[in-house]
Amino acid sequence: MTPLLSVHALHKRHGERLLFDIGRLDIAAGAAYVLTGANGSGKSTLLRMLGGLERSAACSVEFDGLHLPLYPYPRPLRHAIVYVHQHPIMFSTSVAHNIAYGLLARGGDRRLLRSLVDEAMDWAGVTHLRDNDPARLSGGEKQRVALARARVLQPRLLLLDEPTANLDGAAREQVIALIPTLIDQGASVIVACHDRDLINLPGVQRLKLRDGRLESR
Amino acid sequence: MGLLEATTGAFALLLRGDAALWHIVWVSVKTTLSGLILATPPAVVLGYLIAMHRFPGRRIAVWLAQAALSLPTVLIGLLLYLMLSRRGPLGDLGWLFSQPGIIAGQCLIGLPVLLAFTLAAVQALDPRYAETALAHGASRLRVMFSVLHEARYGVMAAVISGFGRVISEVGCALMVGGNIEGHTRTITTAIALETSKGDFAQGIALGIVLVTLALAMNGVLVLLQGDAHNPGARL
Repeated sequence: MTPLLSVHALHKRHGERLLFDIGRLDIAAGAAYVLTGANGSGKSTLLRMLGGLERSAACSVEFDGLHLPLYPYPRPLRHAIVYVHQHPIMFSTSVAHNIAYGLLARGGDRRLLRSLVDEAMDWAGVTHLRDNDPARLSGGEKQRVALARARVLQPRLLLLDEPTANLDGAAREQVIALIPTLIDQGASVIVACHDRDLINLPGVQRLKLRDGRLESR
Repeated sequence: MGLLEATTGAFALLLRGDAALWHIVWVSVKTTLSGLILATPPAVVLGYLIAMHRFPGRRIAVWLAQAALSLPTVLIGLLLYLMLSRRGPLGDLGWLFSQPGIIAGQCLIGLPVLLAFTLAAVQALDPRYAETALAHGASRLRVMFSVLHEARYGVMAAVISGFGRVISEVGCALMVGGNIEGHTRTITTAIALETSKGDFAQGIALGIVLVTLALAMNGVLVLLQGDAHNPGARL
């Protein structure tokens, strides 16, 4: 099976310290992965590099049969891969406008925009927050809005950085419940996490960063 | 003339709508706003670019931007005078002792204030705003507009500080404008002139206008900041 994304010779240093050195990473289309590793092992950095938010040394990727550099981040990847922060930040507009942000930025069909946003809000269970000020949302609500904001773009690969970190109780369960539905919709998903309930999701492949190497289990 | 007498005379001048006085106010407001309108877009874009990008010499650029804040306006006036004088490189423009000359000076005086304050406002902003915009497929231009929108209160403070610095400066307007009555006389150059002539009433009247303008501009900022937590664009 041809992978959606193949990354070759991905490495990162913080000064003299080698954070990781990954010979090859293949991400299959429609597959889900959890990325684990100790704090400081480079999980977030790896996701940020794949999402084009972190500079990477000479490293090439194959995406949809195209050979591309990872830095400067190429446009085909920018439109196919969405990274979601551990603590998502909301623009100071309304919740609905936040969810529409990527659609507006990409200049999609404006007639479709409202129905896509409505559908994404319904999916994330945030319809009642539509016109609210995002600054007043709880951590769990922000995370669900961020997932809706990413999902509405129908990314080929979704990078979720510890989506349940600092959440507990119902907020955490609501976020966990959304992730399998993202996978079912055909997007490839990589979730960096420590959360046992996410690690044990059925059908999820496990990747672990240990001592600068990526282990596949 | 005592302070009380001068102040009473100042209010009388303001209330009876003294044409010469209000023309001076008009010249000041016109040249200040024109200078700011010209300075704001390049200063804000430059401030954003310096704040957001890492490049060789960035620290020198930040240092220069901040150091330019303390440039005496009279020095800017002197340099501009030399540029605009008949033998200067821009002498053919014929801007010396004219309102366009004052506007050029106001633009140069406002630019460092706008740049340094915008730089500080963007630098203080959470980097996740720009990252979120990028991660959701925004172009570099859209990222800039999104970041500046989030930093808008800082940018507005920059504009208001620029307004304050420009409208209250006297050195450059005096040197480049020449303080010509009915043409290039501004509030500050008029205050300097009238005070030297001993006509304190007009000086105080213009001072009251200057303070009122500064209060009004800052009042606008306070009102806008008070609205900061209301959600903006709706869908």
